[in-house]
Amino acid sequence: MMKKNKKLIWSIAFILPALALLCVFLLYPVCQAVYLSFFKWTGIASAKPIFIGLDNYVKIFHSPNFWLSLRNSLLFMAGGFLVLMPLSFLLAKIITSKIMGVRFFKVSYYLPVMLPVAAVGLIWVYMLQPDWGLVNSLLEKIGLTSWAINWLGEKTVNVICIVLVNEWIFAGFNMLIFAAGLVSIPSDVYESAKIDGANKTKTLFYITLPLMKESFKVFSVLCVCGCLKTFDLVFTMTGGGPNHSSEVPATLLYMEAFGSKNFGRGNAIGVVILVLGLALSLGLNKILKSDD
Amino acid sequence: MKKMSNKVFQVFAWLWAVITLYPLIVTVFCSFKENNDIYGSMFALPKNWHFSNYKDALFSANMLRAIGNSLFLALGTTILVVVVALLASYTFARMKYKFLTPCFMLFMLGVMIPIHTTIIPISKIAADIGGYDRYWMLILTYTTFQLPQAIFLITGYIKGISKELDEAAVIDGCNMVQILFKIILPISKPIIATVSIISFVYAYSELVFSVILLSSPAKYPVSRSLMYFKGDFSVRMGPIFASIVLAVLPLTVIYLLFHEKVQEGMLAGSVKG
Repeated sequence: MMKKNKKLIWSIAFILPALALLCVFLLYPVCQAVYLSFFKWTGIASAKPIFIGLDNYVKIFHSPNFWLSLRNSLLFMAGGFLVLMPLSFLLAKIITSKIMGVRFFKVSYYLPVMLPVAAVGLIWVYMLQPDWGLVNSLLEKIGLTSWAINWLGEKTVNVICIVLVNEWIFAGFNMLIFAAGLVSIPSDVYESAKIDGANKTKTLFYITLPLMKESFKVFSVLCVCGCLKTFDLVFTMTGGGPNHSSEVPATLLYMEAFGSKNFGRGNAIGVVILVLGLALSLGLNKILKSDD
Repeated sequence: MKKMSNKVFQVFAWLWAVITLYPLIVTVFCSFKENNDIYGSMFALPKNWHFSNYKDALFSANMLRAIGNSLFLALGTTILVVVVALLASYTFARMKYKFLTPCFMLFMLGVMIPIHTTIIPISKIAADIGGYDRYWMLILTYTTFQLPQAIFLITGYIKGISKELDEAAVIDGCNMVQILFKIILPISKPIIATVSIISFVYAYSELVFSVILLSSPAKYPVSRSLMYFKGDFSVRMGPIFASIVLAVLPLTVIYLLFHEKVQEGMLAGSVKG
């Protein structure tokens, strides 16, 4: 009996630090974000928050910047499926093949994933700098001077640039997801396909891709949920500008709160991000599970 | 036909290697250049190697201090995540109390919460509890964001360790705490390495909370320090590029030394179903 009580006390003592941290720094802040989203608050300690009901939500749903930020998130998602997915799959094929220098390729492709996003963002700001940046100097060198535009200064073009930099960073990461799927396919499946006379294209579409369903599921979940979490890259490359054209929900939240001192409205955006995030990850998991 | 497709394959492999590495190499080139040498010929090797750019970056731009700050934050976060997560995971994996299941579900809910939702409330909490501009506040925040995932990974790993080992230890007279440190901990080293890598990389590079919670420049970690340079094209660019190179150096070295383990670990962190 003594021993059992002791075990219970130790168990509680062991989970308490983790539970306390989770409650204080994650669950409580989330509840607070929901609560304060119904108030007007300037963030100054002495100023009391004023209850205004759903006003913050009405304001953000009527704000063109908010819808633009959601469109930009959609561009991130579209870029994920149209560019990142085929690219990472191809890279996975490369690093699981037997070509020369395969180790070099694997190490190089993954390198950008390791670097702080702020540093990578800054590097690309300089590469895309309109007057002397790498991209424009190379374009001028090959005679395409008219193509050398202000990449981060033009609406929509700047978002596409950031999306492509995002793919540049994470291609190496998603490559590993597909590579894990590729190596898990037993080689005798390929052998029997060869005996049956399947060519390369047929093998790819009827054997490789269907057997890699798991990898594509993992990629989809990460891609869809990840596009709402974009912040660092946009923050470092454009700060959401010029004129809010490259804003995503998380940077808009930051600007509303710490730029315009509309903390209530910032929280309302935070709640929208939360609801969308939870709905997407729960919904997606459900769809993909029922698929089996 | 087969040769042809192999050629295309190989060309693409090299092409992507160039696309990946060239911007990084250009950054290194520029870190040794003067402005005149950067404008218009960014892609070329430096004409004169200005090593003094690095001296300016380290001391005038305070990158040495920033790197030290980042390493401190990363180390503090990693240790705290491992200790707190290991204790909780062991309990979740081995004990059979009814209240543990809902607790575990709370952590799994934590995995799904987008952290940006918490930015404003956390800055408020920091102001309320005197955590503003303090490292412990940042470390506790970083630790919390890494905990759900760490607990998920370690709990899964410990569940895979045979219970017979525990039972044998009980017969030998070990209590619960001794089992954890003498049996479970040594076997769990691979997953602890994985969790450490994920936490370290995250805390070293973290940006948004260091922007919100820190105000004295002497305390800035690398990502926050780099924001100084954003959009400033009028000053000497050489030291700025040198600062970027220095900022990415620690993680690059760690990566090149342990790339297999790092890749494997970061993959495990993302694939949690």
